[in-house]
Amino acid sequence: MLKNVNQRVAIVLAVLSAFYLVLSYQLPTYPYIPVDADGVPKALGWLLLALSVGLFFSKDRDSEEQKAKRHIPKKDVISLLVVFLLVFLYITFFESLGFILATVLFVFSSTWYLGYKKHMVNAIVSILFPIILYSIFVYMLQIRLPAGILPF
Amino acid sequence: MGALEGIATGFQVALSLEGIMFVLIGVFVGTFIGMLPGLGPISAIAIMIPITYGMDPTMALVMMAGVYYGAVFGGSTSSILLNAPGISGTVASAFDGYPMAQQGKAGKALAIAALSSFVGGTISVVLLMIFAPMLASVAISFGPPAYFALMLLGLSAIASLSEGSTIKAMISAVVGFMIATIGIDPQTGTARFNFGSANLLDGIDFLVIALGLFAIAEVCYLIMNRAKKSVGTAKEIGSLRLSKNDMKEMSGPVGRQSFLGFILGILPGAGATIASFISYITEKKIAKNPDEFGKGSVKGLAAPEASNNAATSGAFVPLLSLGIPGSGTTAVMLGAFLVLGLQPGPMMMTDRPEVFWGIIASMYIGNIFLLILNLPLIPYIARLLTIPRPMLISLVIMFSFIGVYAISFSVFDLYLLLAFGVLGLLMRMFAFPAPPFILAFILGGMMEQSFRQSMTISGGNISIFFENNISLVLIILSVLSFIFPIIKTIRTKKKEA
Repeated sequence: MLKNVNQRVAIVLAVLSAFYLVLSYQLPTYPYIPVDADGVPKALGWLLLALSVGLFFSKDRDSEEQKAKRHIPKKDVISLLVVFLLVFLYITFFESLGFILATVLFVFSSTWYLGYKKHMVNAIVSILFPIILYSIFVYMLQIRLPAGILPF
Repeated sequence: MGALEGIATGFQVALSLEGIMFVLIGVFVGTFIGMLPGLGPISAIAIMIPITYGMDPTMALVMMAGVYYGAVFGGSTSSILLNAPGISGTVASAFDGYPMAQQGKAGKALAIAALSSFVGGTISVVLLMIFAPMLASVAISFGPPAYFALMLLGLSAIASLSEGSTIKAMISAVVGFMIATIGIDPQTGTARFNFGSANLLDGIDFLVIALGLFAIAEVCYLIMNRAKKSVGTAKEIGSLRLSKNDMKEMSGPVGRQSFLGFILGILPGAGATIASFISYITEKKIAKNPDEFGKGSVKGLAAPEASNNAATSGAFVPLLSLGIPGSGTTAVMLGAFLVLGLQPGPMMMTDRPEVFWGIIASMYIGNIFLLILNLPLIPYIARLLTIPRPMLISLVIMFSFIGVYAISFSVFDLYLLLAFGVLGLLMRMFAFPAPPFILAFILGGMMEQSFRQSMTISGGNISIFFENNISLVLIILSVLSFIFPIIKTIRTKKKEA
């Protein structure tokens, strides 16, 4: 049985290093090159593996503050997941809807979901910020942000 | 170009209308972002990078430098007013600053912080002007082995000096280095760890990592703690005036700690956080009345404030003269240089003197702005802290997205940003420090190249790293910085037993 959280993290890291090592050993090599493209990755993979073993056996214990940091109430986990879902949708529609529309919808809905009750202020900020930023980037800095379904 | 001529060029840049305007924007935005709990200079610089696209690189960097030390200044404001340090470098400022504010002397505390920061910042800029060119003239003769050894020292120092567990800091650095190996190998053209995706052939952009690990991770944290950690409104500020007695009391600590902070800032891995703590502790040790510390002592506030600002300028020495960052924040600054098509290092002083000296000269102007403009404005800026958390969260996400999209024009990078945000959150939860990760990520590519170049020069003989005195000394120092924390841990355990 794994006694503490460091040991569990160490196992995850060891698996990660093993995976990275397998990929490193599959990299092609060429003759007459003292250190090829696989050299540093292999060294890093072994180093991470060694450090994971070190972490597994280390006597470091988390402080109470650290333990408290990991304790997330269920309600907050749900909030986080909902915001992630909103961000995911924001990314998905970023190009097709366009920067302005997607951002207005995202900023308004996430601010509203996170508990801001002044809907008028929220609407004004959600609309103004994306329009101002879009204008700065597209017209002043000449950096194209996706226009999407809007004609400008 | 001689040093005096260089300084004159620098002031020409910094005192131009454009220069003054961008310094002002930089310090103002930096102060504001630095005040927001959790969002420190790294997030501030990363968020501001997209604004600089298309700007004149010199002006862009003058602004970014302003953002950096403005953020350090802003951090102390929230430490003093709210006991909620914006960045770790200003935690020590809260020890005496917050009790002072509680006693209704917030204005005095802010004035002490501003004046100490100003003196610390100014003394260290003078030192920066002296030391950066000196170091650059030495570094011009550095070959790949010395560069490799120098970067190794930077990484080992940041890993061993990080807060908390050294082994976790090392793991963080190794994983950061691993992420840097993704993409096409520039020496052989081999595609590495891209899983067949064309999106990963160019590797991962540093902005994705910086914004993900810092800004997005902080947002996740804010979401979970939005009810608990309410910032609240700024308290009554009170008078900003300092008495002669206060000035007298401040002068000693500020003078001493400006020099100490600068030296600690130059050292790789140390930076503002360690500088401010060491300054606080040394002043407490040499004080006649150490019991006053922690209860609103003038010295206890002046010392870390002078020191953390001096360390900020000190951190520019290795960045400007060697092109090697010694901390997470200067690593992101290096990223900003690279985005703007500039490579800091010994050649920059001769190739782009207006950038090199312009940044340094602008720091004088920036420090003056912090003192004369920000201080009276602090009560008003502090009101901005009352931005509702839900809105702040949404806006930080939006800014981060614009930053990443404007550099890559790729939706794939936005998904990556989200993924690194989750990684950043997990790292916080499991106490893995993020600065070694970002430093290793940014130095990783350069380190690998200089290592392989050295090996090619020597025909595969590793002794090349020990033949040159500079690289030998640097490698010995790196090994010592790895061993030092281990010895320290063993000693502490023996003492406990």
